[in-house]
Amino acid sequence: MTGRIDPAETLAYVDDCLDPQARGDFEARLQADPELRREVARWEAQNRAIRAAFGAPPRSALDLGGASNENGARRAGELAGAIDGAARPFGQARKRRAAARPIAKPRHAGPGPIARRLAGAVALAAAIVWVGLPSLGPRPSSALVAAGASAARALADLPVEFAAGDPSALVARLGPRLALAPPLAPGLRLVGARLAPGSQATATLYLYENARGERVALMVEPLDETIAAPARRSEADGLSVAAWTGAGYGFVAAAAEDADVAALVAAAGAEDDSLADAGAQRR
Amino acid sequence: MREWSDDAGALRRFGLALVRDDRFVFDDVSASALIDKLFRQASLTLVDCPGKDRRAARVRAFAQFIRLYRRHARRLAVDEDGGWIETPPSCRGGGSAAVGVRSLPLELREALLLVVLAGFTHREAAAALDLPLAIVVDRLTRARARLAAHMASAREAVAAWPQSAHLRIVK
Repeated sequence: MTGRIDPAETLAYVDDCLDPQARGDFEARLQADPELRREVARWEAQNRAIRAAFGAPPRSALDLGGASNENGARRAGELAGAIDGAARPFGQARKRRAAARPIAKPRHAGPGPIARRLAGAVALAAAIVWVGLPSLGPRPSSALVAAGASAARALADLPVEFAAGDPSALVARLGPRLALAPPLAPGLRLVGARLAPGSQATATLYLYENARGERVALMVEPLDETIAAPARRSEADGLSVAAWTGAGYGFVAAAAEDADVAALVAAAGAEDDSLADAGAQRR
Repeated sequence: MREWSDDAGALRRFGLALVRDDRFVFDDVSASALIDKLFRQASLTLVDCPGKDRRAARVRAFAQFIRLYRRHARRLAVDEDGGWIETPPSCRGGGSAAVGVRSLPLELREALLLVVLAGFTHREAAAALDLPLAIVVDRLTRARARLAAHMASAREAVAAWPQSAHLRIVK
């Protein structure tokens, strides 16, 4: 038997908004009406597609409404109660299934645990000597470098959002915390600024152009950093990058050419002690 | 029991889906920057709530986020051409659900995402949007119908693609 489908009620069922009585009535009709079943399946498939498209965790296999819906917990409780209260054939008592025993791990032939730990310690010490020694001292976080490089890669070639030449206008648009006077480097023309996602908070991305018309980016992110770290050069996302911290800010200069980055670092007055480290890291 | 981090994660996921509209925000980087700004203000509602009724606080936080985003979108639209609740002019090709949702007008998109993505009931979504329940249900119905039509047309376009062309036998 097929009846008229009420879209509001169907949606309420699919979105798990019906009370238990209405839900039971609807499910009874659902059993008898194939067209209604198709309609419900269509909307449930659409729900799954939307949740998957935006990275939301899928609802449970029984589609009980998800962790965020109190109806889900209620229906799960009802389901469990129905199972526990169901009559057993021949008056059998309900038995609890014993917990599965953990599978024993197979023993591997090879070095024992002490030898493995010793080898790990030796490898760790070697890594510290190889990587850490040339760059001891305060240094900007790798998250800051990655955020600056990815912002430069993604946003540098887009139109700027704010003109950065007028400091008072920049303060009015960005607020005093984000609007710093951008350094003016010889050979680089200041184009403007954009907002960009920093490593921890929103940052300002100042954009310059060199003589060849290539964009050079300087990301300035307000940080709760009190230790000043000198500029350190590296390469990220195919760009030459220099990052440093100071005065409560993190700075990342990124460009295709090393010379443009060096010009920005010099114009900002940052101490650039990374040349030796860069050489050591490239070895 | 739901925790603050669950609510914040759901709010952030909802926000990312809502603001990426292919009209003013075209990529996830820009969407994240905007979300950072709006999220910080809206999440204060979650932190400052007394904690007695977590669901009510959650509705308040989402409502606050939606108000902030509407204000932001209205300002952008006024700067551009004056209209703000309408179908985005640039609906890029593709048949994914994400593209279909982005092509919906803001009024339909926010209702659909509140219910499907954030897991609100229809009544809670009406409270968050500050609308009568009947209007929310009507918007949900229209949003789902438009999304289904969008995905069906995308499927037809894919089916109409001459896939046999590269299988032609050359003697």
